[in-house]
Amino acid sequence: MLNQLLRKLIRSASGRTQWLLAVVGLSIALLLIFAAVQVQVNYNDLLHGKTNQDSVANFLVINKLLNNQTYGNATLSAAEIDDLKKQSFTEDVGILTPSRFKASVQSYSDRFPFYTDISFESVPAQFIDVNSKDWKWDEQSAFIPMIAPNMFLDFYNFQFSFSQNLPQLTQDVVKMIVFKVNINTPNGVVSMNGRVVGFSDRITSLLVPQEFMDWANQRYSINQDTKPSRVVMRTKDPGNPQLVEYLKGHNLVTDADKTRFSKYRQIVNTVVNISWITGAVMLLFALLIFTLFIQLTVSSCKDEIELLVTLGASPKQLQRFLMKQFFPANVFIVLITLLIVTGLQYWVYSILSQQNMFVSAFTSYYTLLTALLILLVLWITNRTTIRKYVVQQQK
Amino acid sequence: MQIRLQNVVPVPLREKILQRKSEVWNTNIVFDQGHWIKIKAPSGTGKTTFIHTLYKIRNDYSGDVWWGNQNSREVTGDALAQIRQQKLSIIFQDLRLFGELTARENIELNRVLQEPFYEGAMIDEMAEQLGVTHILRQRAGLCSYGEQQRIAIIRSLMQPFDWLLMDEPFSHLDQENTRKAAALIADECSKRKAGFILMDLDEDDHFNYFKRVEL
Repeated sequence: MLNQLLRKLIRSASGRTQWLLAVVGLSIALLLIFAAVQVQVNYNDLLHGKTNQDSVANFLVINKLLNNQTYGNATLSAAEIDDLKKQSFTEDVGILTPSRFKASVQSYSDRFPFYTDISFESVPAQFIDVNSKDWKWDEQSAFIPMIAPNMFLDFYNFQFSFSQNLPQLTQDVVKMIVFKVNINTPNGVVSMNGRVVGFSDRITSLLVPQEFMDWANQRYSINQDTKPSRVVMRTKDPGNPQLVEYLKGHNLVTDADKTRFSKYRQIVNTVVNISWITGAVMLLFALLIFTLFIQLTVSSCKDEIELLVTLGASPKQLQRFLMKQFFPANVFIVLITLLIVTGLQYWVYSILSQQNMFVSAFTSYYTLLTALLILLVLWITNRTTIRKYVVQQQK
Repeated sequence: MQIRLQNVVPVPLREKILQRKSEVWNTNIVFDQGHWIKIKAPSGTGKTTFIHTLYKIRNDYSGDVWWGNQNSREVTGDALAQIRQQKLSIIFQDLRLFGELTARENIELNRVLQEPFYEGAMIDEMAEQLGVTHILRQRAGLCSYGEQQRIAIIRSLMQPFDWLLMDEPFSHLDQENTRKAAALIADECSKRKAGFILMDLDEDDHFNYFKRVEL
């Protein structure tokens, strides 16, 4: 009843258009802010979500860009590798050791005559994604285990075998074949047995265990230069624009395909930032208009408020009433915009899931949290404005 | 609640007041709970100033006004509202109704500002007694002064109080209506065991006063 009477006395200030302007402004501001949060969350989902994870992409083989300036000096110094290790996007760095001796691989079987010159590489064990009990070597070992890139087998099966009239080979067949590995030494050729124990997409070279590499390099090396020229790096997010920027700045290159997301990512970041800033500025203006509106209402009902206070209406009663007049509109706007963003999110979800990209079907907790935070800001703004002007009116 | 004045002198009237003898200004005077006080105040002696000082609408005075054991200067904001809702009711000389509200709404407002002292039906009962039932639905701004004054009287009686402050409460009423209004006021004060302070220009016998003083 009291509120009904107060509503009759304290009419909202005449500026209906102003009110509408504030409502529209706040709605757009909130839409932009919520959308920015939601897009950011979606993008993170796409990048880091388990269903979207691409483990191969997280390992980058990095080497110096070979051009006229770096020609003949394309090795990586210890300082350069240390610096790379220190970067925030780096999880781990391993040095790829190349073989520094001449070697070839050939088959024992006449039915499958096969011979090729070859070079090996080795990498610390934590970078290997093949689980094989045979992946170990010492001088007593019967054979050298090798990991071949899938690419090699594809190249053999779909090109080489046709041109040489050789049978196609499955991974399992290849793993059963024992090859003859010949190493050229100053004292003639040393032959050993070798066997492929697994295939990998991670590093595109023929890998042997680090122990074998160290042993063989020490024994048969034809030059003593031991500076590494390639490293493998593990990163959470190969699309990180910082990473791409760093590589570019240090004359380093990697598989461009793996870092191609960084470009999209930069665009998304820019769009999100613009959305943020625009939303924040609009929120500020909307708050200002709301504040002015409250001020206008209170001052246009100056006489009524004065008499109400004279008759015994408490400042608390008036503040509570004015809060009830102004705040529900804000809550309503927040709910409506949240609903719109939820609708948009569902739409994005259904479109992306057709393309096998998975984001949540509903708005994220972050968006809801943002909504709560903004409600709090609105509440505080309303409350302080009302307090300020009601108190001012009494003086 | 006892009302006590300690050497109260309104600043704008200082010269005038100090020149003459007053039983109220610049003295120590105590009004005990339940006493019915008549203060006779010729024009220009600060009648309305006195009522407004007691009700704390004006602060431009020297000395102190005590509400019970509280100095009224120190009571502000919600505490002041509490005093006006529970302890002090008032009938202004200039009536001070909301012109945009109906007569009933004006009364209702003072009824629901606090936990209601009376049911809403009491409005009709009192309006009946004072002969203003027919204007209850009318906008207060359109009522005659006589009607407005009776609305203001009913409004002041809708709330709980220890003291009713009245500033020429019958100035717009004829004898018959004054008699009815005084009877109602006397009734309501008795019910509450409340006192009142009635300010008027002349002597009168509307009530059985406990004390008559001159301003």
